[in-house]
Amino acid sequence: MATELQLLWLALTLYTLAGSTAIGATVLAKRPERVILAIILIGLFVHALSLGLRWERVGHGPFITMFEILSSNVWSLLLIFGVAYWRVPAVRPAAAVVMPVLFLMMAWLLVTSPAAGHYPPTYRTIWLYIHVLFGKVFLGSVLVAVGVAGVILLRHARFGVARLAQLPDDVRLENLAFRFMMLGFIFETLMLIAGAIWAQDAWGRYWAWDPLESWAFTTWLALALFVHLRITFKLRPLYSAAAIVAVFVLAFLTFFGVPFVATAPHKGAV
Amino acid sequence: MGMSDARVSTAAAPGGWIAAAGLKRLASLKLTLVLLLLLGAGVIGHDPVTGGAAWLVAVPLLLGAVNLSAAVLTHPVFRQQTALLMFHVALLAIVVLVAAGRLTYLNGQLELAEGEVFKGELARSESGPWHRSLLERARFVNDGFTIRYEKGVRRAETRNTVRWLDDTGREQKGVIGDNEPLVRHGYRFYTSFNKGFAPVFIWHPAGGPPQRGSINLPSYPIHEYGQALEWTLPGTQIKLWTMLQFDEVLLDSDRVSQFRLPTRHTLVVRIGDARQELVPGERMVLPAGILVYERLSTWMGYTVFYDWTLPWLFVACLLAVASLAWHFWKKFAVQPWDR
Ligand code: HEM
Repeated sequence: MATELQLLWLALTLYTLAGSTAIGATVLAKRPERVILAIILIGLFVHALSLGLRWERVGHGPFITMFEILSSNVWSLLLIFGVAYWRVPAVRPAAAVVMPVLFLMMAWLLVTSPAAGHYPPTYRTIWLYIHVLFGKVFLGSVLVAVGVAGVILLRHARFGVARLAQLPDDVRLENLAFRFMMLGFIFETLMLIAGAIWAQDAWGRYWAWDPLESWAFTTWLALALFVHLRITFKLRPLYSAAAIVAVFVLAFLTFFGVPFVATAPHKGAV
Repeated sequence: MGMSDARVSTAAAPGGWIAAAGLKRLASLKLTLVLLLLLGAGVIGHDPVTGGAAWLVAVPLLLGAVNLSAAVLTHPVFRQQTALLMFHVALLAIVVLVAAGRLTYLNGQLELAEGEVFKGELARSESGPWHRSLLERARFVNDGFTIRYEKGVRRAETRNTVRWLDDTGREQKGVIGDNEPLVRHGYRFYTSFNKGFAPVFIWHPAGGPPQRGSINLPSYPIHEYGQALEWTLPGTQIKLWTMLQFDEVLLDSDRVSQFRLPTRHTLVVRIGDARQELVPGERMVLPAGILVYERLSTWMGYTVFYDWTLPWLFVACLLAVASLAWHFWKKFAVQPWDR
């Protein structure tokens, strides 16, 4: 357990370094992009070791306790952001927006208990892995979109003008953010389907409107609403960016807020 | 002739025009926005536990289906963009299937003692108004279960052996539990956390043939300290109060354990003021007959779920994601992501 936590702290330190560099670079209009990517990659590797050691020790994946859920999501969100950062250069300045969101999760992670939880019998199915995987891609894609949307919003707030001004114009950035939102939309749909299949097998009903199901579906509806608002009113990039942030807040609260508040359902009765 | 033809067409035109205009209005995308908001509010506002205010979800869904159908019929985008059309039609199909499922579903609970045959009777159930029960065809036998408990008496794997006759009349055996239901004629039987002890009796009524039967004591370990039940002897008015007593710790909080019968136990039986403690094989003599306590056994609680739409829903969902992905693939492939 000690090594596991030390590796985790090392990873979090590296992420903090990468994030601070990204924020500093945006403010000072510098572009140390390869350095930032390298630090993130080393952090991800160290973090993966920590997650792997824990998996080996407790005998199940990181999806039971709040500590595990936060830790594995910090990892997967950064992994997905890292891929987007690497492949799509226009996404890179979004690091200054994305990293603070992750700092929030990292701080939360540090105050949760690392004790192992109970692994319910209904979790022993392949559908859990499929469901979790889709969920992670969903949240990761929406986070990338939020980073890009954040750049649009920051520009409108007349912040960091120099560095952010070199980027493509708002219309192009909004289009990029929209693409990541729709990627997220597809994966959220897949997540809901996989979750329903699992619920049918585990609890004998595919859908019962438990709090997590209700909020996940509401997030899906919010995405449908966003798509239709964008088409019906030809939203300006500023409003579209604001809507993207709103959807992310809803998704974030669904992932990390609802299971935290409503403890009994969606865990399988004892 | 020509005149009347002209009159007919002018008479028909306004009607057709009004219908088309009505359809266009129903297809309004602003209405879609309102309905999406109402549906979201309904999802959060209705009470899934009691089923209260289900109309908060049902009404926006119904109106949404009307709105969407009108849009599919009138919006030119749907004729140009096949993938988008497929996605929206799949959404419609899902709504229709869910509605059909709600009309015909069955959700129930039952308990079977070890060795008991399920003959179609449910302890509790709720169903759609159009459910036609074929439950008595879905016969099976509970052949007993094992349940492992982790430290802290936390339930781990449940393995329940069941037996049934397949369609060709051959006997089949299988193990269900946790993520594995028994599926018979569309009915899905799931083991539940409800299970417990079942004393087995043989009742010899004076002047009648003997009958074997068992009673299901309250669920164990939830009602660990309430292992008692009042029941009526079949064919009589005699009320018996029965309690299971044993001293050992069956499920140890400090180590991994298994659900099992106590090695030594007594059964307290009380009828009015008469009280007797029985061990297996002992009998109680009553004016109406003789009650023999044969042995202690177990019972398993099951939930049963029937919804014929499940495979179709699955197909419609796959169609929806596939066409959604296809739509955006085509839309985004026009320009690279990293311009
Ligand atoms: C309830 C009634 C609905 C109606 C009447 C409706 C109608 C439409 C129409 C007409 C379009 C094409 C807009 C255009 O390209 O000009 C569209 C696009 C779209 N709709 Fe719907 N829709 C409905 C519900 C939904 C729902 C529930 C979802 C998803 C959850 C959804 C997802 C989409 C998507 C993803 C697009 C494509 C957007 C794009 O290409 O940017 N729709 N819808």
